[in-house]
Amino acid sequence: MALLRVENLSVGYKSKHGLIHAVNNISFSIEKGRSLGFVGESGCGKTTLGMTLMGLLPENASILQGDIFFNDDNLAGFNDEKWRTFRGKEISMIFQAAMNALNPVIRVDEQIAEVIAIHNPQMPRTQVFDQVKKIFDLVEIPEDRLRDFPHQYSGGMKQRAIIAMALACAPKLIIADEPTTALDVIVQDQILKEIKKIQTALNTSLIFISHDIAVVADVCRDICVMYGGQIVEKGNREEVFQSPRHPYTRSLLESFLTLDSNGDIKVPEIRESPDLITITGGCSFAASCKKKCEKCENRNPGWVNLSSTHQALCFEEVIHKD
Amino acid sequence: MKNTKNRPENKNHYVERFTKGWAIYIKNPMGKAGLIILLIFMLMAIASFFVPLLGPVYDPMTGADPNITYSTGPSFQHWLGTDFIGRDLFVQLLEGAKVAFIVGLSCAFISVVLGTAIGMISGYAGGIIDTLLMRVADIFMVLPSLVILLILASLWELSIWVIIFIIAIMRWPSVSRIIRSQTLSLKSRPFIEASRVAGASNFRIIFKHIMPNVLPLAFLYMTFRVTSAILVEAALSFLGFGDPGQVSWGMMLQWVWSSGHMFQAPYWLLPPGICISLLTLSFYMLGRAMDEVLDPRLRKEGEGE
Amino acid sequence: MKTKKFIFNKLIEITILFFIILTILFFLFRAAPGDPITRMVDPNLTPEDIQHLIAQMGLDQPAWKQYIIYIKNFFTGNLGHSFHYGAPVSSIILNRMPCTILLFTTSTLLAAFVGVFLGKIAAWKKGSRLDNFLSIGALLCHTLFIPWFALLVLWILAYKVGWFPLGGIISPELWIWDTSIFIKVLDVLHHMFLPLLTLFIIHLGSYLLLMRSSMLGVIKEEYIITARAKGLSDKVIRDKHAARNAALPVITSVGLSLAFSINGGALTEQIFTWPGIGRELIFAVSNNDYPLAQACFLLITAVVLIANLIVDLLYAYMDPRIKY
Ligand SMILES: Nc1ncnc2c1ncn2[C@@H]1O[C@H](COP(=O)(O)OP(=O)(O)OP(=O)(O)O)[C@@H](O)[C@H]1O
Ligand SMILES: [Mg+2]
Repeated sequence: MALLRVENLSVGYKSKHGLIHAVNNISFSIEKGRSLGFVGESGCGKTTLGMTLMGLLPENASILQGDIFFNDDNLAGFNDEKWRTFRGKEISMIFQAAMNALNPVIRVDEQIAEVIAIHNPQMPRTQVFDQVKKIFDLVEIPEDRLRDFPHQYSGGMKQRAIIAMALACAPKLIIADEPTTALDVIVQDQILKEIKKIQTALNTSLIFISHDIAVVADVCRDICVMYGGQIVEKGNREEVFQSPRHPYTRSLLESFLTLDSNGDIKVPEIRESPDLITITGGCSFAASCKKKCEKCENRNPGWVNLSSTHQALCFEEVIHKD
Repeated sequence: MKNTKNRPENKNHYVERFTKGWAIYIKNPMGKAGLIILLIFMLMAIASFFVPLLGPVYDPMTGADPNITYSTGPSFQHWLGTDFIGRDLFVQLLEGAKVAFIVGLSCAFISVVLGTAIGMISGYAGGIIDTLLMRVADIFMVLPSLVILLILASLWELSIWVIIFIIAIMRWPSVSRIIRSQTLSLKSRPFIEASRVAGASNFRIIFKHIMPNVLPLAFLYMTFRVTSAILVEAALSFLGFGDPGQVSWGMMLQWVWSSGHMFQAPYWLLPPGICISLLTLSFYMLGRAMDEVLDPRLRKEGEGE
Repeated sequence: MKTKKFIFNKLIEITILFFIILTILFFLFRAAPGDPITRMVDPNLTPEDIQHLIAQMGLDQPAWKQYIIYIKNFFTGNLGHSFHYGAPVSSIILNRMPCTILLFTTSTLLAAFVGVFLGKIAAWKKGSRLDNFLSIGALLCHTLFIPWFALLVLWILAYKVGWFPLGGIISPELWIWDTSIFIKVLDVLHHMFLPLLTLFIIHLGSYLLLMRSSMLGVIKEEYIITARAKGLSDKVIRDKHAARNAALPVITSVGLSLAFSINGGALTEQIFTWPGIGRELIFAVSNNDYPLAQACFLLITAVVLIANLIVDLLYAYMDPRIKY
């Protein structure tokens, strides 16, 4: 049985312009010990999805429909108290703005110790701190930096500390929301290796969110491509990264800077981001799609099976038109 | 500071900026309430100019009802009653409103002009000038103004204008600090760099480019300065060291207290204190609402730009 | 080690600052109209005493020498002779000092703690009935005119209801006989209650408002979401993660508003006839007792400067990012 199963999930933000459908009818599942990547452009709802899984949506947001099954629990029906004992223990999250995710006035070891302490009330203090040491070892922070304050850490060390925090209670699922965006390339590479190493070592499941499809393909076995709050293509990394079939995934892969035949830099086309407020019939990508036909504008696309693991949200004709 | 990014080009820009700001301001209940209270006090201050028309009996300082030789409660002739020599309390209250406005506004004006000028020079010049000016500001910041005024009052008889001036002198540093940091951040903006490269003089850069951008902030600080000036002047008068030739709310409280009427004459004790507190409150609310106009981060979610 | 150096530097800075103020005061007293001798020496003394005092203060010397003697006198604790009390000024102000310190520190600390606590709660439940009540209440406290509020308190709680004495710090009749120390302490507390209440309420408002707005800013920080993601309880997030950060600007503002608190303290002492430095200063100024006024002023300035140092140290202690 899958560890996490999301079915027809929709999440909306109330705003003064109307309801923003940030996550729109999403379904996916993840097995124990597997890694699943979400990729898509800015504003496509990746963070919203992660926050929903953590029960950390802001006040103006709500789950419009759908279920989230974690083992046998339905997270969509959790109350505050249930969430509190659940978060950090079963699922933990590494946040996007990692540089500010540590509390500046509390020592780093204490910030990690408190996760362990809250979920293991019986554990004595000394044992908690032994545990902290072990985790620091795992993320390769020298032991003598344990008692430091966050401002004494470099960006890379902060990110490691945050990963350590997410690992502290050996959760069954870790959600990493662009954990390396703010770091330079070399540190980014180290951190990604770290994440992969730990994930296989501890056999936890991982949901990895990024706007960079190359990074996602590096870390994750399976990939979901998101556009405008929907998953538009899913499959394992070879399928999605090497033979993408949805027009959006293709344009995403093309949007790396490349050189044209004259040796000039080819600047990717700039698409308009989709309107998430007024949901009209038809494919949401139609306006920017190079291969669109009449159908695309007024009928909703369905899932097209490309292999037993590979699917795209499109029309047969469009997918096979080349 | 979204607005400060675009340089004010012409009068239209100011008008547009003002109407936009006003629209945000008037939506704020605090700002509205503050404005209404303030208007009432303004009417009172204006009314004080017409008191002489009622005849010498109603002069707040020298007029006394010949039929009254002790403090009386509210009556038809004297709406709030009279003090112990028969002077009309309501007329004194009106006069007090006038004095409070004069003290508050002129004090705020002087200290904000001073503070803005020093803050701009300090931030723009940098280096040793900056350090020196900010050190001086530190000194002024820690000194209790009332205590300073008291020690000066022991040496000289202080007229109302001297008091205003001294309070203003004590109050510029906090304005300077804010304006200085604003200037520092403006200084590194491209458009200032550009005009420097284009050969504009320091004087021109300060007046043409920096000043228009710090002025809204300076104006905001003015409202906060107003309240502190009113409070200090009232406290000084209350202690008996105000300008002896000028009736004010603080002075009214000094009279009710020193003449031993404070336990007998609530009609005399209550109004001046309520007026001082309400006027301060209204300026405070005004400032808070203006803060919101100037700082988009303070606005409630969903209210937009 | 670094902290020691910081304190040392600060102390030097404060000394220089104090020296400047001392100097300005000297020239102010010389610049005022009238004769410095009649101003600084009590005319009711015997001629010998007058001569003695003039010599001691160097008032018959040229100005620069006077200045040097003035500084020397100050640092040897010789602040002159009070006209009114006919006693050395230093002994009078040393007598008043404890009363002021007692009232001032108690009210500031109480108001700061309660204000921070209530501000924290108000911000956490932003928009609730409790928040509205606390914010409006705080706003009203913040804008109260201190002497007027003190008079109201006196009128209602001391005069009308009669629960508390009208002024002073002790009831003399209790102190004549060999009463127990416990009764004496209670008596002082009984006298202190109203001035304390006045100062408390007045400062409470500003601390509450400050803490509330500071806390509202902190709640939006990333590390608060992190804390929630850990599964910490609401109370731990509020008290441990948010409030500790939000309190930092409040500490700074305690330092900045010290001058304001001193003003309020002097007014409160005056109305409740609390025998402190502020009241003594007002008394001295009203009675042209210049040596006394000068000494009170210098003492208050010294207190403000030292209190500022304490606030700086406290801030450094609370914020690990600042290490001196
Ligand atoms: N608190 C909020 N209130 C209203 N709308 C929001 C809020 N947070 C996000 N949104 C909207 O929801 C949509 C999805 O946002 P989300 O943060 O999930 O995107 P994302 O994929 O994580 O983008 P990025 O790559 O930039 O992090 C966006 O259109 C955004 O404007
Ligand atoms: Mg995001």
